[in-house]
This record gives sequence, C-alpha cells and structure tokens, in this order.
Amino acid sequence: MNKKLLGFIPFLIFIFLCVFLYQGLFGNPRELQTGRIGQAMPSFVLPDLMDESKQWRDSDLKGQVYLLNVWGTWCPTCIAELGYLTELREQGVRIIGLYYEQAYDPDFGDQFDINALRNEVQTMLERAGNPYQFNILDLDRTLALDLGVSGAPETFLVDANGKILLHHTGDINPRVWRAKFAPVMQELSQ
Amino acid sequence: MIPEIGYFSLVLAMGLSLLLCIFPLWGAYTGNLRLMRAAPSLAVGQCLFVLFSFAILIYVTLTDDFTVAYVAHHSSTTLPWYYKVTSTWGGHEGAILLWLVMQSSWTALVALMSNSLPWVLRARVLGVLGFLGVGFMLYTLWMSSPFERLLPYYPVEGRDLNPLLQDPGMIIHPPLLYMGYVGLSVSFAFAIAALLTGKLDNTWAKWSRPWTMVAWGFLTLGITIGSWWAYAELGWGGWWFWDPVENASLMPWLVATALLHSLAVTEKRGVFKSWTVLLAITAFSLCLLGTFIVRSGIIVSVHAFATDPDRGLYILSFLGVVVGGSLALYAMRVSEVYSEGRYKFASREVTLWANNIFLVVATLIVLLGTLLPMIHKELGLGTISIGVPFFNQMFSILIVPFAILLGIAPMMRWKQNKLSPAVKKWGVMLVLALALTTLWLLPNYEYVAPMTFVATALAVWITLGTLLDIYDKASAQGSMVEGLKRLGLSYWAMVLGHIGIAFVIASVTLTSAYSVERSVSMKPGETANLNEYTYRFEGVKEIRGPNYSGHAGVVTVLKEDKTVTSLYAEKRMYDIGMQFMTEAAIDDGFFRDLYLALGEQLSGGAWSLRIYHKPYVRWMWLGGILISLAGFMVVADKRYRRRKLKGEMA
Amino acid sequence: MRVLVFALLALLSFASHSAEDKYEFANAERAATFKALTHELRCPKCQNQNIADSDAIVAKDLRDKVLVLVNEGKSKQEVIDYMIDRYGYFVHYQPPVTPATIILWVLPVLIVIIGFGFIVFRQKKASKKQQWNAQEEEKLAQLIKQYQRQEHNS
Repeated sequence: MNKKLLGFIPFLIFIFLCVFLYQGLFGNPRELQTGRIGQAMPSFVLPDLMDESKQWRDSDLKGQVYLLNVWGTWCPTCIAELGYLTELREQGVRIIGLYYEQAYDPDFGDQFDINALRNEVQTMLERAGNPYQFNILDLDRTLALDLGVSGAPETFLVDANGKILLHHTGDINPRVWRAKFAPVMQELSQ
Repeated sequence: MIPEIGYFSLVLAMGLSLLLCIFPLWGAYTGNLRLMRAAPSLAVGQCLFVLFSFAILIYVTLTDDFTVAYVAHHSSTTLPWYYKVTSTWGGHEGAILLWLVMQSSWTALVALMSNSLPWVLRARVLGVLGFLGVGFMLYTLWMSSPFERLLPYYPVEGRDLNPLLQDPGMIIHPPLLYMGYVGLSVSFAFAIAALLTGKLDNTWAKWSRPWTMVAWGFLTLGITIGSWWAYAELGWGGWWFWDPVENASLMPWLVATALLHSLAVTEKRGVFKSWTVLLAITAFSLCLLGTFIVRSGIIVSVHAFATDPDRGLYILSFLGVVVGGSLALYAMRVSEVYSEGRYKFASREVTLWANNIFLVVATLIVLLGTLLPMIHKELGLGTISIGVPFFNQMFSILIVPFAILLGIAPMMRWKQNKLSPAVKKWGVMLVLALALTTLWLLPNYEYVAPMTFVATALAVWITLGTLLDIYDKASAQGSMVEGLKRLGLSYWAMVLGHIGIAFVIASVTLTSAYSVERSVSMKPGETANLNEYTYRFEGVKEIRGPNYSGHAGVVTVLKEDKTVTSLYAEKRMYDIGMQFMTEAAIDDGFFRDLYLALGEQLSGGAWSLRIYHKPYVRWMWLGGILISLAGFMVVADKRYRRRKLKGEMA
Repeated sequence: MRVLVFALLALLSFASHSAEDKYEFANAERAATFKALTHELRCPKCQNQNIADSDAIVAKDLRDKVLVLVNEGKSKQEVIDYMIDRYGYFVHYQPPVTPATIILWVLPVLIVIIGFGFIVFRQKKASKKQQWNAQEEEKLAQLIKQYQRQEHNS
C-alpha cells in the first residue's frame, strides 16, 4: 500500500511541472521591468534635444501625469509607434521623449554630430507624427541607466508627484494601452 | 521533385513505424507470435526510409537547391561542402531530421542485435521505440518539414549558415549529443517493456546495461565536445555557462550516470529494481524535456532555436504522453516489484545508493535553477535570474561528499564490508592526498584558497583510491601481473571513468582559480606580459577566406626571450549575413593554454586584444574523453560478447 | 643637455613599447571585484550573457558604471545593490533569498536527508527480518523434532 502511493509521486510531480511548462509557452521570457517601480523619478539635469541652452530637471516634470518615452531614430519599432503616440497626445496624454542615442560612445565622443541628429529627428517627427511635448537628450545614457532602461522603445508612466507607476518594454499600441495603461490612467484621473 | 521524394520517404517511414508500434505491442498483449515477429523487419524498414530521406536533404543542400526553404535559410553557394552537409542539422527542421536518423538507426540496431531476447520482451522494446519514432515523424511531417518549398519565387543565394556554426565542433557535437539522447530511449524502452511484461528480472538489467553505457558514452562525448567548442569558438575563454541549453544536456547525463551505477547493482545483486526503472524513465524524460526547453521559447538562450508556440505545444503534448504515460505505468506496476536482498550499511550497495542520491540532487539543482525563473515569473512574483554563481556555489558544496565517496567506493565489497581495516587504508590515503596536493599547489601558486585546496585534494584522493584498489585487487591472489591480466575490461573501464572525473575536478578547480586575463590596447611593436610569457604584437594583416574577409592580429609569444609560438587571432566578417566573428588563437598545451582574442581597432593604429593564461584547462576535456571511453569499453567486456551457443534464451 | 634629451627619448621609447591595460585599478582587490562583478551581472538586453562577454550598448554602459563604482571604493554587494535598484533582480545571476526562492537551497538538502533516511530505514527493516528469521528457525526446528517424534511413536 505504502509503495503504491509513493509510486505515484513522480507522476504527480510531472503533472505539476507540465502546468508551468504549458503556461510558459504563452509568456514572454524577455519581458523586463525596472527596479524603480513605485519610486520617484531619479534626479537629473539634461539638455533639451533641440536647444542645449535649455536644461531639464526632474522637478520640472512634476505637476502632471506624463509618459516618458525612450526612443531613437535608429529604432524601427519606435518609429512605428509614433503614430499611435501622436493619437494619444491628441487625446490629451502628456508625452515627453527621452532620446536614447545608442551609437554614442563616450570614447569616440568627438565624432558625434548634434546638428545632424536634430535634423534627422525633425524630419522623422514631421513625417510620422510628433507626440512629444519636448525631447530630453540623454547622450551619456545616465538617466537611462538610473531608470533601468536597456534599449528602445520603452515607456514609463509617471504620476504628478513624480512616482513611477508603470514600465513597459516594447512598443505602445492600442492593445497594450488598453490592457496595461488605460486602467491606471483612469484611476489617476479620479 | 526530389525534395518531395524526401518527404514521401518520411511518410513511408512513419507508416512502418506506426505498424512497428501497433503490431508487436498487440502481439505481445495477445500472445500472437506472428505479430511479434514482424517487429525486426518493420524496424529495419522504417530506418532505411528515414536514412533515404536524410540522404535527399543532404543531396539538395550539396546541389544548392534554393527552392527548398530550409536550404535557402541555412546554406549558401559560398559554403565549403563539409559545412553544407553540416548545415543540414544547423537549423531546427534539419536537426529534428537528424534526431530521427538517430532514432530509427538505434531502433534498427536493437532489432538486429536482440535475437537472443525472449520475443515478448523484444516485441515490446521495439514497439515502444516505434511509438517514439512515430511521435517525432508526425511532428516532422506535420509542423517541421525540412522539405518545404519556396516556389515560384526562390532566391539565387542562400542566407548562409550562421558563422558561429561554421566550425568543426558543429560537425560532431550535435550528432554525438543526439546519439546519446536517442540511445537513452533504448534504455527507456527496455524499462517500459519490462514494466509491461511485469518481469523486472536479471534479463532486463543485463540487456539494458550495454545499451545504456554506449548511449551514456556518446552523451559524455557530446557534452565534452560542446564545452571545448564553446571555448575555442566564442572568444571569451569560457567552457561552461550553465546556460539552459547546456543544462538540458547535463541533466540527462547526471541521471544516466546514476542509472549506470544503479543498473550495476540491480544486475549483480538484484536490488534497487524499482529505483533503477524510475531512473531509466527519468533519463529519457529529461532528454525530451531538454528538447522541449530548447525549442519552445520558454527560456532565453543564445542556443535556443527559433520558436513557434504551436511546435512547442506539440512537443509538450508528446512529452506529456510519453513521460506521463510511463510514470503512470510505473506507479501502477511498481508495487509488484519485489527486491530481495540483504546488505549491511557499510557495503557497496549503500555506497552506490549514496552516489545515486548525490547525482539526483545535482540533477534537481540544475532543474530548479533552470526552470524556477520561469515558474517564479508565472506566479507573478517578478523576474529573477539564476546563473553561474548559484550553480557553482551548489556544485562546489555537493562535490565534496560525492568525491570522498568516489575515492573509497570501488574498494567496498558487496553486501558487507569490515570497516576497521578499510578505515586504516583511508587514513593513509587522506594523508597522501593532502601531502601531494600541498606539494603540487603551494610551491607554484602564491595564494591557495581553501576551496581550491580541498577540491584539488579531492581529485588526488579519487586517483589514489582508484590506484590503491587496482593494487588490492590485482595482488589479491598471487602475482601482480597475473592479477592485472585477470581484471576484466569493465573493471578497467571503471578505473578510466573515475580517473576521468578526477581530471575534470582538478581542471575545473585549477583553471577557475588560476586563469588570468589582460585586456590591453597595443600598437605594433608593443609588448604585454602575462605570467611568464611575453606577447609582442606584430601588427594586423588582412585575410580572405572562402566565405569571409577580415583581419588577423599576429602576435609572437616569448618566454625568457625565446620564441614559443606565433598566434593569429582573427576577426572575420562573413560575406552573406555581414556578421562579425572572433576566432581566438590558442596555443594549447597539456599544462596550460595561451588564449588570444582580437578586439576592435582603436585610434592611432592600436588594437584592443584580450590575452588569457588558462592552466590545466585541457584536462577537463581529456577527462571527458576518458569517461566516454569508459562507457564504450564496458560493452567490449567478455560477458557481452555473443554466445556461440544458440538458443541460450528462447 | 644632450644627455637629458637622450634620457628623455629613452624614457619615451620605453613607455611606447609596453601595452596599455584597458582597465586600471588602484589595487589587485579592486581588479578582482570588477572581474567578479562583470561576470555576475547579467546583460538586460541579451540572450543570456553576462556584461563582460556582451557587445550590447547597455552592457557596455553597465561595465563602465561598475568600473566607476569600484574605483570609488564600493564593495561588491554595494555595486550589486545599485544595479538591482535600477534593473531589478533580473540583472544579478545569483537569485535573492525569498520565501519563493528558498526552495533552491532547501529542496536539495531535504532530498539528501530523505535519501539517506530511506536507506537507513531499509537497513533497519532488513536486519529486523533476519532476527525474526533466526527465531523462526528455532521454532521450526523444534516443530520438526516434535513431528518426527510423533511419526516415530505412532
């Protein structure tokens, strides 16, 4: 009797494992989240992409709920989501861009041409839509590192007090917006 | 037309495999000898059709037939012919076909070599193998066919084989690994057949053992070559990353090692029967689980194949049926298995049981470490990573009791062992091991960490134990020479296997503790020192290969102002696909490897280089080869040779 | 004067003959800490690589940051905590010890205990059986004698 019951243990363990394996098929193992969820936006002082005399601080961003969208013209998915983000802007969502220049290497800094970049960004936004109130240039990717950004596109939802509520890696499209962002946005507006 | 013939050949193979699954099993159930007798010819038949199909895939690859999607995605006209052949298993669909080749060949081999097996058992073994064949063939024909066409618009040039795979390692590593995985399915089939028949007797153990050993030998070799290949190819001097795909091959190996030892106990002493059967089922289950992990997309790895949830679902279902079914069968039949055997605590039985526990715990650690991140995330607890630090930590703890036992186990007698004379021997061994380790390490290394010392001493301990046992057994009766001659091949195989492990432990310990590296930027003419060697950068020259171009950094290595060797570290860019690849330059030696990799071009004509000094790193692959040799040697032992007398077991 | 110029040139030529290390550290301990960290921290963007081996830009940024922190004198744990604060537990290859992950260490120990416990238990059972058999043997021998006597007498 004892042996019979013991004999079923391997079988039961296996079935238990299969449940998780099955679920695993539909998950995304590469989805990441920042460690900063629930914390305040880290302090920073970075120039505006278009005008280096204008410096942006984390305190400047407080006061309103906003999306911080990490993007770059080198990133095809970022370009693809510009259209939908522009729609969101027209619906009243405040979107601030954090420009992530992945080719910029501090060791080869003298080869970087800011004016060429500005022209590129201008052209791109005119063509695909401009969802941004303004763009912050994070050339050394310091704010990106402080936020736990590993690439583009990534988007953070930040409340009026500067608390980071959501982090999404990947593009924002209607499905993602409905599932992930809309509920939180609704809560905030109440 | 020809690719379609390849597909059709597989269809025929599947048909025969289906019959191979149904007829013999039904025949065994109803006692119909005619149905059972159909098994061997069906087995050989399905094998021939699979081989023919594979031959066709090789043919279309060699003739650059880019109307076949698989060839267009994984080959090109610029590939040398041997890499074209290799590309047939470079992608997912082709790799599954390679698996099928192994599966059907082993099935045919079992069919041809099992003449002296009782028909009921023989039919069931082949029936189970047939079932496994059907599972894989159905998968290939339905969702994973390498013969899909790209008509009417096909490319004039293929996408080329991934440069990382254009290496001798790719030619031998997957086939060896698959030989091992599939070979374990034979062990599995024997276990299931024995459970179905209800007879877990000496016949089953005796038959299982040689097949398990050969499969295990191939698996060991496959893993060893994989490690060596990663080292030589990836450019970072690493030889094991605890990557999920590597773990997927290690887990069956660990369980198969436990199985080997457990089978020995069952064969000789008739005990541990239900445990051995469970191990046989688990070993192959882990092979299937490994296949699932690697091809389903549930984990992140550089080695993982391109994924598709449908394919993952099929493999999971197949896994569920095969493993779930066999474990259910086990649960139902295990209470009928009765082991009669007495043994004291200080006995070889118990030592081997301890060996099994440690190996199973090791497997559990790898399994938990590989799957927990996924489970953790699914439970909504967030993402975690489990990698090198965890596995190294756990294995360095586990190796201590395991290695201690390994040193003394061969000396233990069956049933019972008088402890006091043995303890005296162990005392001497301990002192010797500590002394030899001190002599070895202290003069040569400034700092010896406690763990490094302990692990090295363990390797010496194992070697001493093995040698002492040879001496004991050979001098037991009469002259040493006579005694040595009388020790069978399977004894020498054990010696080889255990010494192999000692080599691996020593290598892993010492190379981890004492490998040094320097990342430097050098202009032509400049030198860098690492340990006792001086590296002089001569400059970089442009190179051109059959399907790549790039640069080779030339470095002269000097020791005490005498030239030791010249190293050519390459950075290649492959024509198609435009991928960069680092080909490290290695000066291999028995006691150390000098490893050099070329980095990027910097300003002012300087280049970045990485120089490594890796002591004893070759020993781990030497150890691996010794271990796999051990597996092959056992089957050459006298007792497995075919008896000249026919009708021994009707 | 010429001696000075010559000496200067000689010095310079010596300097240009030896290679420049990519990373410079104040002491060997910091070099070791840096090496250990770059092998223990995971590249957030890659397919299972540590930041030492990866060519991704985020891996490079993390390496540079680790270098800065180590050179500031931060301990290994401090650097790891810094990174986990930003990238979550994912970025460290050693899992945190939480109620959910404790199974990683507890289960192996448990299995060793169960495994050895099992064999000890079987041992006890087996030896008990033998005692029983020895007693039985005696009983049986007596019964046989009795029976034989009966047979002889009847």
